[in-house]
Amino acid sequence: MIEQQIELMAPAGSFEALMAAIQAGANSVYFGVDQLNMRARATMNFTLDDLGKIAEICQQYNVKTYLTLNTIIYDHDLSLFKRIVQEVKKHNITAIIASDQAVISYAHSQGVEVHISTQTNITNIESVKFFAHFADVMVLARELSLKQVKAIADAVKKEQITGPSGKLVALEVFAHGALCMAVSGKCYLSLHTHNSSANRGACIQNCRRTYTVIDKEEGFEFDIDNEFIMSPKDLCTIDFLDQLLGTGINVLKIEGRGRAPEYVKTVIACYREAIDAYQAGTYTSARIEGWMKRLHNVYNRGFWGGYYLGQKLGEWTDTSGSKARQKKVYLGKGVHYFSNLQVGEFKIEAQSLKKGDQILITGQTTGVIETSVYEIRVNNAIVDEAKRGEACSFKVAAKIRPSDKLYKVVEV
Amino acid sequence: MVTITQQRHKCIGCHYCVELAYDRWRMSKKDGKSVLLGATEKKGFYTVRVGDEELDDNLKAAEACPVKIIQVRQR
Repeated sequence: MIEQQIELMAPAGSFEALMAAIQAGANSVYFGVDQLNMRARATMNFTLDDLGKIAEICQQYNVKTYLTLNTIIYDHDLSLFKRIVQEVKKHNITAIIASDQAVISYAHSQGVEVHISTQTNITNIESVKFFAHFADVMVLARELSLKQVKAIADAVKKEQITGPSGKLVALEVFAHGALCMAVSGKCYLSLHTHNSSANRGACIQNCRRTYTVIDKEEGFEFDIDNEFIMSPKDLCTIDFLDQLLGTGINVLKIEGRGRAPEYVKTVIACYREAIDAYQAGTYTSARIEGWMKRLHNVYNRGFWGGYYLGQKLGEWTDTSGSKARQKKVYLGKGVHYFSNLQVGEFKIEAQSLKKGDQILITGQTTGVIETSVYEIRVNNAIVDEAKRGEACSFKVAAKIRPSDKLYKVVEV
Repeated sequence: MVTITQQRHKCIGCHYCVELAYDRWRMSKKDGKSVLLGATEKKGFYTVRVGDEELDDNLKAAEACPVKIIQVRQR
């Protein structure tokens, strides 16, 4: 049994993803509101008015809450960011994740816990010491190797570097999800081509495209190995999580505020199991194989271990989008739940639901339910298939709600 | 006559419109989003009619807007 405090931090881009993270066993969630966060472009961002509800849900499940306030800040943002910090304080959000000195300094002065964002690119122990004046938790740059991470973690203990709370500074690392081609996300490609600054959360992801090099003298065009040469594969550390946790870090962050709730559920569930297995001494290659299989089913650009293992650069993806082995197909909406029978009623609005189908139900309160359908009833008669336009019912172990969405999970 | 429309809630406060058409745009210190001067709001869309002399600058602002929420029409 390993007695190391490890926090699993999940992304929450929507209430559905938030519930999915909680259900899958996250210890904390992070999310953004309005435009001052690194997913400002996302249409599903929370608003300031949602903070109370988020805090209430998370306190109920004893999950810590972190609000991302990590874009660069202009003078015209000062009043808004201060208001956000005050709202964080009012609703007892656990901490804010910041990178701009203005935000770090103001939040600290207001007694709001500060975590340092990856945008600050912490790569050495002196930076950790500097930020320890303001912050109890800081994420290390994704570009560090395991050896470098361990050296910093060891030094924190040896030199007893403490944050404002008086406790040793907690170190956080990215464990899974999309990687940026630029160092610590400090990229200007999107700004140059579309005036759309990644550092204001508006990245248009130029790096995920293919490019051709043109010989200007003679006009020859070259495609580079048919690869997406600026698009890194996604980070995955589950197959060497023992080594990553062995460095002495305290928080595992999962990237993906733009991802769907079932992605959050699958990834968080896998890492939850892996952390628990590591601590219980049951982290085996057979289990790793199982987790990898599940992770491959949800959105991914192919996996690599990032820079942790000191691999050579050049793990570029060979597709434009996901290599997920499963996808979801919309079927319809929830209608009613019969608690005594544990039966959910749904209206099929597209395609059809067949006996044996693997399904996915998502909702703001429901989170994510994944199950299979063994018996379908339409008008109280057992049928093999419920067609478009029909209301059908089947067993669902957990409560579903009228606003929930029903999907069929199919192999790609 | 030129009609300028802004879908304000999608603004991410990048400051480009203010840089390019200063006579018509300012940043709000209240919420950090840009303000279309003189506009009236209807269902989240802010609209103002201005003279042709403002066309060029506002076309530049519309083109530069990273979230494409500015529309400029001339008639």
